[in-house]
Amino acid sequence: MSSVAIAPAATPSATTNWGKRLLIAIPYAWLLVLFLAPFALVAGISLSTVRLGMPPFEPLTAWDGSILNLRLNFENFLYVLTDDTYLLAYLTSLKIAAISTAAMLFIAYPLAYGIASCSPSSRSLLVFLVIVPFWSSMLIRVYSWMSILRNDGLLNALLLKIGLISEPLRILNTETAIYIGIVYTYLPFMVLPIYSTLSSADKTLIEAARDLGCSRISAFWRVTFPLSLPGVAAGCALVFIPVVGEFVIPDLLGGADTQMIGRAIWLEFFNNRDWPTAAAVTIVLLALLVVPIVYFQSRQARAQG
Amino acid sequence: MQSYISIENLAKSYGVVTAVNNINLSIEKGEFFSLLGPSGCGKSTLLRMIAGFETPTSGAIRLEGADVTDVPAHKRPTNMMFQSYALFPHLTVGKNIAFGLQQDGLDKSEIRKRIDEVAEKLQLSALLDRKPAQLSGGQRQRVALARALVKRPKVLLLDEPLGALDKNLRTETQLELVRLQRELGLTFIIVTHDQHEAMTVSTRIAIMKQGQVLQVGSPSEVYETPRSRYVAKFLGETNVFAGGRAERSGEELRIESDEAGGGLRAGFTDRVALDQPFWVSVRPERVELSTSGSGLEGTVEQLTYTGVERHYRVRLNSGATLDARRVNLGGESDLRVGDRVFASWPPQASRLLAE
Repeated sequence: MSSVAIAPAATPSATTNWGKRLLIAIPYAWLLVLFLAPFALVAGISLSTVRLGMPPFEPLTAWDGSILNLRLNFENFLYVLTDDTYLLAYLTSLKIAAISTAAMLFIAYPLAYGIASCSPSSRSLLVFLVIVPFWSSMLIRVYSWMSILRNDGLLNALLLKIGLISEPLRILNTETAIYIGIVYTYLPFMVLPIYSTLSSADKTLIEAARDLGCSRISAFWRVTFPLSLPGVAAGCALVFIPVVGEFVIPDLLGGADTQMIGRAIWLEFFNNRDWPTAAAVTIVLLALLVVPIVYFQSRQARAQG
Repeated sequence: MQSYISIENLAKSYGVVTAVNNINLSIEKGEFFSLLGPSGCGKSTLLRMIAGFETPTSGAIRLEGADVTDVPAHKRPTNMMFQSYALFPHLTVGKNIAFGLQQDGLDKSEIRKRIDEVAEKLQLSALLDRKPAQLSGGQRQRVALARALVKRPKVLLLDEPLGALDKNLRTETQLELVRLQRELGLTFIIVTHDQHEAMTVSTRIAIMKQGQVLQVGSPSEVYETPRSRYVAKFLGETNVFAGGRAERSGEELRIESDEAGGGLRAGFTDRVALDQPFWVSVRPERVELSTSGSGLEGTVEQLTYTGVERHYRVRLNSGATLDARRVNLGGESDLRVGDRVFASWPPQASRLLAE
């Protein structure tokens, strides 16, 4: 927040400069190979035409004697953007992601705040407990939710036993089950960044607010909360983005009537074997997610200026 | 007579550790009062209890006669300027200053007026739209001061307010603080470990050690007539010799001191019990060094030149060291390392000290 700016003492020597470049180059090369290259492939496939055979799409370029033909097919995008099924799946995904992100924020913020106000020794134990579920496979954990939420599952058995309900609730294969699964699975990604900003917050700022006339509650809303917003933003981005494209949880816990975009992509790829359409859906999804993120990041960068 | 602020038998302990031990202080309206002591002496804890951040274990704090001991920090008519300044990083300078006024529910035009007033006084008018991260250390310090002053507190508490500034700026700011305090007629209580700072700004100083106040007085009182060895040594430099057999002759005392290796003379005082262990102290600037005459004999062991003064360290024949200073009035020093010298001082320059 308030470090004094110090001008670089001297230009670093040529060797450290090269060392620095190498240090940055390796992870970037990794990203280039493992992220950008596959992305380029998918983008290429999205502009192709479906065909029978392996691979199940036409190549983009064809060598015609002496002419190199480039055939870009925008049909897939037109289809994806005009067909109600995809539009609906996009909207459903965004809705589920938005609601579950909001739900996680409501659960995670008090949790993170509670952990951050504990003594340092119990803090590390509590953070550890938040991370512990990652030690078993996500698939196994989602399966265990199936056995909890089933009509004859643990939850219904418990509710019937204590007499809260007279016949089992149908939770599994509904949207509720998707929300439960998503909130459960992604919660740590919301808790950790918020916890990290709250625990590194300067406690004297709260004292300053109290000194200037704030009660505990108004000090929270006027100082603690606004200062934790970067953590909240990071947490929301960390859960919202993967949840939009989530496939496993809606597939296992949701019903046939809740179509999320991840499932739509999966169906196009594997059931219909229509790779170009699946790739087009993927590209549109990416654009929908990346454009607002870049916008917000540039705004934030400017605000911090 | 009722004091403006009175601190009565105030104590604070954390488990078995006593931070503040039974302190009594009276501070009058319009004073610039210093709590001076080394780190860990309880001065900050005392200040934080006055601010309302710490609850005393026992005792009471009264402000204009009203007991505020159990009043929470946000309801006290005191404001604090923090050592780290504690400016809100997400708010502009203007909003930082407005923070406390908004909390009090003042209307917008009044807030505007008060901000402009304090900003002008502290030369912040051009900075109101900046964020704290865009300010220099000195500017941040002024914002922190403005934010506390704009609330017009009955008492302004300053916790090592100048610790983060470099030396030149610190001296300048000390004078500025004094000017501001006189102008506003406010009561300031400052915590500092820097005796020079305390002497410069204060009307009175309380010297603290291990949770207790050893002596309270104006800067000249505590410097000229320290009551204990600790206070004498903490405020400035001094030479201290254990006193032995003492004999009164008229208004003078003749004291045998084995440590000094000779007889010392002092003005008679009845404040120190001469049958208890006591010490004789003399400030280095009062010591005369000459190559002939009488006094404590020794050898110049070290000579340092600081520009303003020359510092001499003399090894006395008794083995003890004695420091002396001479103001630099131009020319070379007539004394060199290795010279035999006699050290003497007028009897009134001697101070008798209890433990």
